Amino acid sequence: MTKGLKLTDILVTIVIAIAFGIVYILWGPLYYALSPLGLHLDQLVYGMWFIAGPVAYLIIRKPGVAFLAEVAAASGEFLLGSPWGLSVLLYGAVQGLFAELVFMLVRYKKFNLQIAVLAATSSCAGSLLMDAAYGEIGALAAWNLTLLLAARFIGSIFFAGIMAFSLVKVLEATGVTNLVRPSSRADYAALDEDMKG
Amino acid sequence: MNLYQNETWLHSVNPSLKLLGLTILCIGALWIHDLNYMVTVTVGILVLFLGFTGQRFRYLFLLFIPFMFIFLSTSSAMIMFGQGETTWFKWGLVHITEESFLRGMLVGLRALLFAALGLTFALTTKPVNLFYSLMQQAKLKPKYAYSFMAALRLIPIMMEEFQTIRNAMKVRGVEKQLGTQGITFKLKACSIPLLSGSIRRAHRIAVAMEAKQFSESPHRTYYYQFRFSYVDTLFILYFALLLSAGYFVAVWIPFLP
Repeated sequence: MTKGLKLTDILVTIVIAIAFGIVYILWGPLYYALSPLGLHLDQLVYGMWFIAGPVAYLIIRKPGVAFLAEVAAASGEFLLGSPWGLSVLLYGAVQGLFAELVFMLVRYKKFNLQIAVLAATSSCAGSLLMDAAYGEIGALAAWNLTLLLAARFIGSIFFAGIMAFSLVKVLEATGVTNLVRPSSRADYAALDEDMKG
Repeated sequence: MNLYQNETWLHSVNPSLKLLGLTILCIGALWIHDLNYMVTVTVGILVLFLGFTGQRFRYLFLLFIPFMFIFLSTSSAMIMFGQGETTWFKWGLVHITEESFLRGMLVGLRALLFAALGLTFALTTKPVNLFYSLMQQAKLKPKYAYSFMAALRLIPIMMEEFQTIRNAMKVRGVEKQLGTQGITFKLKACSIPLLSGSIRRAHRIAVAMEAKQFSESPHRTYYYQFRFSYVDTLFILYFALLLSAGYFVAVWIPFLP
């Protein structure tokens, strides 16, 4: 395998990411419709903004893809005129980096539900770090902060973990993922079988 | 609708420099904790947004509505539930203090600043120009830049496909289902064909680009050339002036506590 991502990997990743960028921008009104009174109902849907990384990684299964996808989705959202402006770009980079770290820790060898959930949780932690600087959430009253943290983690696990995984499972059934994944050992074994037969 | 009809000096700032400048300002704004300073800087950015994006006021006003939502949603939680000593108002869980109110305003203004900066950039920069400039000034690899540009061109096609899927469902009499099951069904029915179609299309585009000798060579030529000009100096000067004016106001004539 050559080092780095090939044009195909990059193009597919970015196209998937831009598709999610559209979802991200449509997700904004839903988010601030849910945010009255500061009771953090909105945090339950926050997790959707982490989904591009895990989905792209589960589809393409290569190093760097999760980070690229999250950054690309964020820049898509940004260029389409997100009302959050440049912050989506900064958040996207941090969230992508945190998801990528999880995949790096398993050396890009695991593609199960647990790893997707773990990456989602990690992205969530990254976004909270950014919030500590940007929204100064550390200065919220303790009960309120706990509510925020719980709601955001639950939402992340659901949207960016479970939903991302099941989305890719269904995509696998359509056969489209075979186009873009690196060939596995099983593929070579199948070729050997052909040679023998 | 043509977004870039009336060009102003902001349109001719080098896109890479514009992005870098605005990003630095955003990261810097994370460290602004003085309300006076924040107000001045925000006003300075709003001047750019309202005066120099070359858009009609009606349109700018529409864009301003989400700003208000974001300002309110970001600041309200901090104002009502933030920590503080000097109580202004207390009702059940709601506890507004002087400290929490001021911090809430600061946080809300920061959100407003980020939003105004982002929209000012998006309204004055064509994506194609941005990626061409990033290739030339920031040495972004062409395979990334062209992938971005190709993907952005696919957005209208994705929108059209989405409409087609919805029409197809209507024609075939897919009825509205209620509850969570209905939502998951709808999500899957729309997202799977859209995603699989996009992946196939992206794959085909990549194969076609490689077949036509898309090259990774650093010595490639560019149809659109970007350089730096006097407008870029003006751009840097504006922010330098704004930041020092903000500092002056915050130190010498603070109008807020």
